Amino acid sequence: MIAGHFGFAAMVKSREPQVPLWSLMLASQWMDVVFVPLFALGIERIVPTLSAGPHPGYGEGVIYADYTHSLVGALVIAASYGLVFAWRWGRRNGGVLAAVVFSHWVLDWLVHRSDMPIFPGNAGNLPRLGLGLWRFPVATASIELALAVLGTYLYWRAASKALRDAGEPTTKKATRLGALMLASALLTLGLNLIGM
Amino acid sequence: MSFIVGVILFVVVIGALDARLPWPSPRAERVWPKARDARGVQS
Repeated sequence: MIAGHFGFAAMVKSREPQVPLWSLMLASQWMDVVFVPLFALGIERIVPTLSAGPHPGYGEGVIYADYTHSLVGALVIAASYGLVFAWRWGRRNGGVLAAVVFSHWVLDWLVHRSDMPIFPGNAGNLPRLGLGLWRFPVATASIELALAVLGTYLYWRAASKALRDAGEPTTKKATRLGALMLASALLTLGLNLIGM
Repeated sequence: MSFIVGVILFVVVIGALDARLPWPSPRAERVWPKARDARGVQS
């Protein structure tokens, strides 16, 4: 899931307009950003599912992100991200950003195939978490699309209000940004669906 | 690839364009208690 996380961040922006959008968007993907170097080093990995072909498609992977996507690891990553921004923008904004980072874990928990450990490194060999919605790719893609569309709509509404409140004669900037956001979400989801 | 494209579009491009909109400042929360103290308002 990629576009869905961005959609959720856009929803939060409409409720917390003082938090810069770039920091919310980055927060929504921060767990995956931290995952990338660990994946490159071979510490975390993705294994194609048994039913996947030679080129695994959308959601056709078991993701052993045992540090970044463990429940405790996600809480630590979220707290550290929030703390950095709290130092610049205050406790409340830091808390909002930490919550958005952790929302990544919650949305991933819905779609991952029981591959998310509770403790980093799967310490204690406890049962792994994940509801496995990726087994139903049409349903998962529909949820991602719904998050992206709803997030874009709420963002466009909030941005239009901000422009009106500032006395701007038109809300065209908000409409243009909303259109770009929706197009970006469709492109990202489309690339994800074809396994790129 | 979808991840990299998504981060570039949403964080860099849309984030930069959004920053030009008249949103409230994230620093207001930190400034506000000092401003209140300066006015002599009791908490």
